[in-house]
Amino acid sequence: MRLLLVEDHVPLADELSASLTRQGYAVDWLADGRDAAYQGASEPYDLIILDLGLPGKPGLEVLQEWRAGGLSTPVLVLTARGSWAERIEGLKAGADDYLTKPFHPEELALRIQALLRRAHGLANQPQLEAAGLQLDESRQCVTSGGEAIDLTAAEFRLLRYFMLHPGQILSKSHLADHLYDGETERDSNVIEVHVNRLRGKLGRNVIETRRGQGYRFTGDQG
Amino acid sequence: MRSIQRRLGIGLAATLLLVGLVLAQASLWVFDRGLRAYLEEDLRDEAQGLLTALVRGPSGLQLDERRLDPSFQRQFSGHYFRIDFADDRSWRSRSLWDRELLKPDGMGMQAELGDGPQGQRLLIYRADYRRYGENLSISVAQDYQPILQSFRRMQWVGLGLGGAALLLILVAQRYTVRRALRPLEQVRRQIAQLQQGRRTDLDAEVPEELESLVAQINHLLAHTEDTLKRSRNALGNLGHALKTPLAVLISLAGREEMVAYPALRASMREQLEQIEQRLSRELGRARLAGEVLPGARFDCAQELPGLFATLSMIHDRGLSLDWHAPVALVLPRDREDLLELLGNLLDNACKWADQRVQLTVEESADGYRLYVDDDGPGIDAERREAVLGRGTRLDEQVAGHGLGLGIVRDIIDAWNGRIELQDSPLGGLRVLVSLPRR
Repeated sequence: MRLLLVEDHVPLADELSASLTRQGYAVDWLADGRDAAYQGASEPYDLIILDLGLPGKPGLEVLQEWRAGGLSTPVLVLTARGSWAERIEGLKAGADDYLTKPFHPEELALRIQALLRRAHGLANQPQLEAAGLQLDESRQCVTSGGEAIDLTAAEFRLLRYFMLHPGQILSKSHLADHLYDGETERDSNVIEVHVNRLRGKLGRNVIETRRGQGYRFTGDQG
Repeated sequence: MRSIQRRLGIGLAATLLLVGLVLAQASLWVFDRGLRAYLEEDLRDEAQGLLTALVRGPSGLQLDERRLDPSFQRQFSGHYFRIDFADDRSWRSRSLWDRELLKPDGMGMQAELGDGPQGQRLLIYRADYRRYGENLSISVAQDYQPILQSFRRMQWVGLGLGGAALLLILVAQRYTVRRALRPLEQVRRQIAQLQQGRRTDLDAEVPEELESLVAQINHLLAHTEDTLKRSRNALGNLGHALKTPLAVLISLAGREEMVAYPALRASMREQLEQIEQRLSRELGRARLAGEVLPGARFDCAQELPGLFATLSMIHDRGLSLDWHAPVALVLPRDREDLLELLGNLLDNACKWADQRVQLTVEESADGYRLYVDDDGPGIDAERREAVLGRGTRLDEQVAGHGLGLGIVRDIIDAWNGRIELQDSPLGGLRVLVSLPRR
């Protein structure tokens, strides 16, 4: 999952980046509204966390610009302006959720998970579930048939992405776009290695290879 | 304060009535005086005519009948005389018939009218002469009653005409005054509309006399609104400036490194929580417009859909949220205040509701009622007072969320409204907020 964090307060951005990275998200950070307006629309993000009080261009305008341009990426607005009138304004501008500062990091984590699930049509689930697998996002482990299986950080990230896109064919470059932030060197062989490790832990047919096309998550553990 | 219209009307009527009465009475008096002076001449001539009619006859003095005015002969003709001699003899005109004409005490025209036959009122004139060596006094009288009657008739006619004129003048005056005061009435109506939230400023198209007043009111309105906007903006900035570092601190307190110091971590979290709650409450309270803005308006049909869309996005668990309000209902309250009030109450209801949350807005004779219903567990009747009591925190059961009742109470206090907790027909809690009309 690749996230864009738009926040001009550097200490908070540092904290959030660190915490989100620990949760297995690839995070790009921007502090200026104009940069955000451009990059948010051009890079394939899975979710955007947007502060409203930005230099360069106000957050609400950035959001309106994205929505007017047809961007459908879920946007979580992060703001100190917590009055209901402002919340309504934010959601009218196209936000998908609204979190007021100050907040607990766990609250933010839960909101991001819920928003991602909702964006992929998996609403009303306390945990991410797909094809008989339950992913515990806070402990970063997967339960299969009542048995808890530990995952490495990289495996967790990959499996989460697969579970949010069950049955879809995902190419290696697509996976690389969504699993690594803009500054990491991309090596498609690394993805192959992690796919094989997941197969080793969950079963050969959990992820099938479509030659020349990519991978497809089936959840078939037979 | 009485109306200007009525005051002008009463003043004018009183003045006209007084002046009219005095004028009418005075002219009658002058006319009466003139007439009596004129009749005095007549009476003197008649007395002298009688004197010349006195002739020496075979048995002393006698009246020459042929020289007498025939009206002295006709019964109760209104013309009478009496001649008194020094030796107490007296003659009366035939017209007196069997009645007596009293001899007046003094000479000349008598000030008082004397009684005559058949209810006549007599002007009496007496003159003393000496003829053929005898002292005699001649009193002549004339009936004044017909003139008095015509005076009375004139008074009635005058009263009628005067009354009609007065009525006409008053109606005309009322019309003029109303026309002249129409702009004032218009401004009054507009101020009432302002209070009800049906307009945001006064029409500047008014007569010169009112221009500065209306301009001043409009200026004051704009100024108040501007000040409110600026102070809200400043509060927003202050909140932003304080809450962002607070978010950093809360995040730091949650770090892995802190796990080793649970006591330190708990204490830090608690203090940060306190700062956060205090900050939100005070900033929220400072944002309130309360009763400051007379032009405040909250259009239900325009604002509620947005609020409910927001709520259903926040509480994304298949709740059925709906609202009922009379068509085109506008509440005369500040939009942001009312959104804050409803947002907090509904948010709360959504947290506890099983499936349904419902808002009902009603307009009653003395104000407005807002009902927020849910089908959740509700609150026991004994605990309701405590929940509404100051300083109680209902949020102890829902971690991380304030119930928002503090700010709700601040808003209701600022409006002089009331809040009650009741059983909801949906099965859970009903929060009833009553707002007085303004």
